[in-house]
Amino acid sequence: MSEKSSKPRSVEFRGGGFAPVSHRWVGLVVFIVLIVLAEVGTQTGFISALTMPKPSDVLETFHQLYVSGLLWKHLVPSITRLLVGATLGITVGIWVGVMIGLFSYVRAGLVPLVAAIFPIPKIALLPLFVIWFGIDEASKYALIAFGTFTPTVVATYGAVDNVDRTLIRMGQSFGLSWTSIVRKIVLPGAMAGILSGLRISMAIAIILLVAAEMLGAEYGIGAYILEAGSLYDLERLFAGVVILSVMGVLVSAAISAVERKLLGWRT
Amino acid sequence: MIIIDRRKALTLMGAAAVASTLATPALSQSRKIRVGALRFTSHSATFIAVVRGYFKDAGLDVELKFFQAATPMAVAIASGDVDYAVTAVSGGLVSLADKGAIKVIGGALSEEAGIDGQKILASDKAFQAGLTSPAALDGKTFGITTAGSSFHFMGSQVAAKEGASVTFKPLQKVGAIIGALKSGQIDAWSIVPHIAKPLAGSGKVHIIGNISDYLPNYQVTTVFTSAKNAADERSMTQDFLGAFSKGVDDYNAAMVDKTLGDDGMNEMVDLIHKYVYADRPREKAAKSIINGSMRLNAGAALNVSSVEDQLNWFKSEDLVGKDIKLDTLVDASYVKTI
Amino acid sequence: MDIRLSGINHSYDDLEVLRDVTLDIPSGKIVCVVGPSGCGKSTLLRLIGGLERPTSGEILQMGDVPENCLNPLTYVFQDFALLPWRTVHGNISLVLEDHGIRGARAQVIIDDVLERTRLTDFAKALPRQLSGGMKQRVAIARALAVNPAVMLMDEPLSALDSQTRELLIDDLVALWSRTPFTAVYVTHNLAEAVRLGHLIVVLSRRPGEIREIVEIDKPLADRRYADPDLEIQQKRLWDLMREEARAADEELIHV
Repeated sequence: MSEKSSKPRSVEFRGGGFAPVSHRWVGLVVFIVLIVLAEVGTQTGFISALTMPKPSDVLETFHQLYVSGLLWKHLVPSITRLLVGATLGITVGIWVGVMIGLFSYVRAGLVPLVAAIFPIPKIALLPLFVIWFGIDEASKYALIAFGTFTPTVVATYGAVDNVDRTLIRMGQSFGLSWTSIVRKIVLPGAMAGILSGLRISMAIAIILLVAAEMLGAEYGIGAYILEAGSLYDLERLFAGVVILSVMGVLVSAAISAVERKLLGWRT
Repeated sequence: MIIIDRRKALTLMGAAAVASTLATPALSQSRKIRVGALRFTSHSATFIAVVRGYFKDAGLDVELKFFQAATPMAVAIASGDVDYAVTAVSGGLVSLADKGAIKVIGGALSEEAGIDGQKILASDKAFQAGLTSPAALDGKTFGITTAGSSFHFMGSQVAAKEGASVTFKPLQKVGAIIGALKSGQIDAWSIVPHIAKPLAGSGKVHIIGNISDYLPNYQVTTVFTSAKNAADERSMTQDFLGAFSKGVDDYNAAMVDKTLGDDGMNEMVDLIHKYVYADRPREKAAKSIINGSMRLNAGAALNVSSVEDQLNWFKSEDLVGKDIKLDTLVDASYVKTI
Repeated sequence: MDIRLSGINHSYDDLEVLRDVTLDIPSGKIVCVVGPSGCGKSTLLRLIGGLERPTSGEILQMGDVPENCLNPLTYVFQDFALLPWRTVHGNISLVLEDHGIRGARAQVIIDDVLERTRLTDFAKALPRQLSGGMKQRVAIARALAVNPAVMLMDEPLSALDSQTRELLIDDLVALWSRTPFTAVYVTHNLAEAVRLGHLIVVLSRRPGEIREIVEIDKPLADRRYADPDLEIQQKRLWDLMREEARAADEELIHV
C-alpha cells in the first residue's frame, strides 16, 4: 500500500434501503393529499364539474344517503348477496379444491375444466344465468358464487399440493382415519394458501356485486352505482364507489384477523 | 378561445362575402364534424342526410360514430368527441345539461295519433293471468333499462294514468328485457313498434296498448349537441339542423306519409338497411324497418311542453336535481317549437 | 411381539432395491440397519411398517401385541413430522384422538410420555419454539403415547448436530433401560449403530442384501461415548462397508 492511503478510514456504510420497513401513515397521507387536491381543483374550477365531483359534495351525498336511511336499504341486500354468494362459491370451491388436491382422478377430470371456466368473464354469462336462475336473488347469488368458485379452487388445490407430504405419511403411519388426516393435517396445512386465495375471491365477489345487480335489482350498492352512472350523477357514483372500496378494506381486514387467529403458529 | 374568435370572425366575413351570391349559405366550408348514432330506424334522418349528401351540401364533412346505447353517446357529446346526436331524453341527459355540458336543440321522433307508435307489451304469463290491458298493471313488474330511462318514464306515466302501482326492474339492456319478458320474469314493457310487433308474433308476448293513448305528442327523441356548439357555433348548428331536416322530410315522405309510393319506400328501405339490421337479409330487415316507421318532426321542431313534462317527472322522482330549469336543458332558439 | 421378514424382494419398476432379505426382529431389542446410501434401508423400514408392499416375500407379526397398544408399528421420522400448528400437547393428543382417547384418559398418557422424554414443562410450546433435539423428543414421545409393539426409526438423529445427537442417544438409552422397547433403527451413522444396536444388520449396496448381522453383547447402559470396545466394532463394520460405500458413491444416480 502507498503511504498516502495508510491513514485509517472508517468503513463506508452501503447496506441501506431494500429492507421493508412499515410506514403505515404514508398511505393515509397520500390519500388525504389526493382528496384535498381534488377538492381544491373542483372548487376553483380547474377541474370541471364534468370530470370529477367535489369531494365535499360526495360526502354530502353520502350523508344524505345515511340520513334518509337509504344507505341501509342499499347495503343490506348487497351484503346479503355478497355473503350468500361468496359463502356458496367458497365452500364448494374449497371442497372441490381439496378433492382435486387429494385424488388424482378428480384432478385429471376437473383441473382442465376449472382452467377452462376461470378466464370466462362471468358478466358475459349473466343472460344465461337469468334463464337458469331467474332475475331475482338466485341469479345474483349464482353469479357471485360462480365468480368466487374458480379462484378458490385454484388456490385450494395449490395449497393442498404444498402441504408437507411427510405430515400426511405420519398421519397414515399412526393409523389416523382419512377424514382425520384431511381435517387435522391437510386443511390446517393448506389454510395459509386458502386464506390468501380468499382475499382474491372476496375482491372478485365485490367486483361482481355490481354486475350481479345489473339485472332487476332495485336496491343494492351495485344498482345504486349503475343508476348513478346512467343518470351521470357523479356525486352518487363516487359515493357508491367509496362504499365498495370501504367494503373491500373491511373484508381484507376481516381476513387478516382470521389469518392472525388461524395462522398464529407461523410467526 | 382565440381560435374560436378568429373562426367566428372568418365565418362572419365569409357570410358577408357569399350571402350576396348564394341562396344557401354554405358558410363553413367542409367542416369536419362527428355525428353520433344508434343503429335504430329512428336515426334514419341522419343516415339519409349522409347518403344523399345533404350534410355535404351544407358544407359539413360528417363522420358517423356508432354507439350501443344512448348514455355513452350523451357522454361523448359532453366530452366533445361527438358534435351532434339524437336520443331520448333521459336522466343522464338532464344531468349532463345541468353540468353545462349539453343542450337539446331540436326534436326528432314523436308519438302522433293515427300513426303506429310505441307499444305496451305484456308477457304471455301475465297476459294469461289477466294483464290484457294497461288497466290491469297494478302490482305488476315493468322492465326498464335503467332508472331515468325513457322506458322508466313511459312506464310510470302509463301507471300513473291507470292509478296502478308497478315495480320497475332495471335490466340495463334491451336484450335482457326481451329475454325476461319472453320467459315471464317481468310482466310488462313498452317499446318501439318494430321490436314490439315481431315479439308479439312469437306468441310469448302480447301487445296490450299504445303509448300514444297515454302520452299524446310525446317527444320521444331529441337532437342535442354540446353546450359549446349551441352557444358558439350557431351557423354550424343551423347548417346541421337544416341538412338533418332534409333527411327528416325524405323519411316522412317515404315511410310515414307514403307519398312516394312503393318505389320510394323500397328505395328508402335500401338506404336505411345499410345502417340498420345490416346483418339481416334485405327481406327480413325491410319488414322491421317498415314496422318501425314513426313520425320524425319536420324541421326538427321541438315539443317543448313534452320535454318539460319529462323534466318535471325526473325531478319528482328525485332522479335529477330539483332546481334544474327548462332553459338549462333546452336551447329553443334553433327550431320551431310546438 | 417379534417380527419376521422372510425372502423379501422389492423393486421399483426395473430397479431392484432389496434382494432376499430374511431377518428376525426379536422383542425387546433394538435392531440397527446400516448400509451405504441408496441400499434400501428406508424402503425396508417402510415395508415393515406397511407403508409399502414388498414385491415378494412375507412380513409376519409373531405373537401378541402388548396391552393398550394403539398402533403396533409406529414410526419416528428423520424430519420429526410434527404439525407446526399444534402444541407439543396437541401433537401427542393427535394420535390418541382417533382412538377415542380424549380428556382425562389422554392427559394421563400425555403426562406420562412427556415425563419420560423430559418435556413436561414444554407441553404448551409450539414446534417452532423448540430446538431440533426437543422436536425429536416430542416425536419420540408421540410414538411412545400409542404404546407401540415395534418402533420404526428412520434416521431419527440425522437432522441434528453432533452434540444434540449425543444427548439424544443418551436419552434413548435411558428410555430403553427404563422400559425396554422393540425398535428397528435405520441409520448410516456407524457410531449411532454401535451405541444403540443389540443387533446390527449390514446391507450391501443396491440391490440391498444382508451382508452380515453383528451382535453386540455389551449392555446399552454400559456403552459410552468413545468406548474402545465399540470403536473396534465400529471399525469392523466400516471395513465391511467401505468398498460398498465407495462403489455406491460412484454410481450414477438412477433416475
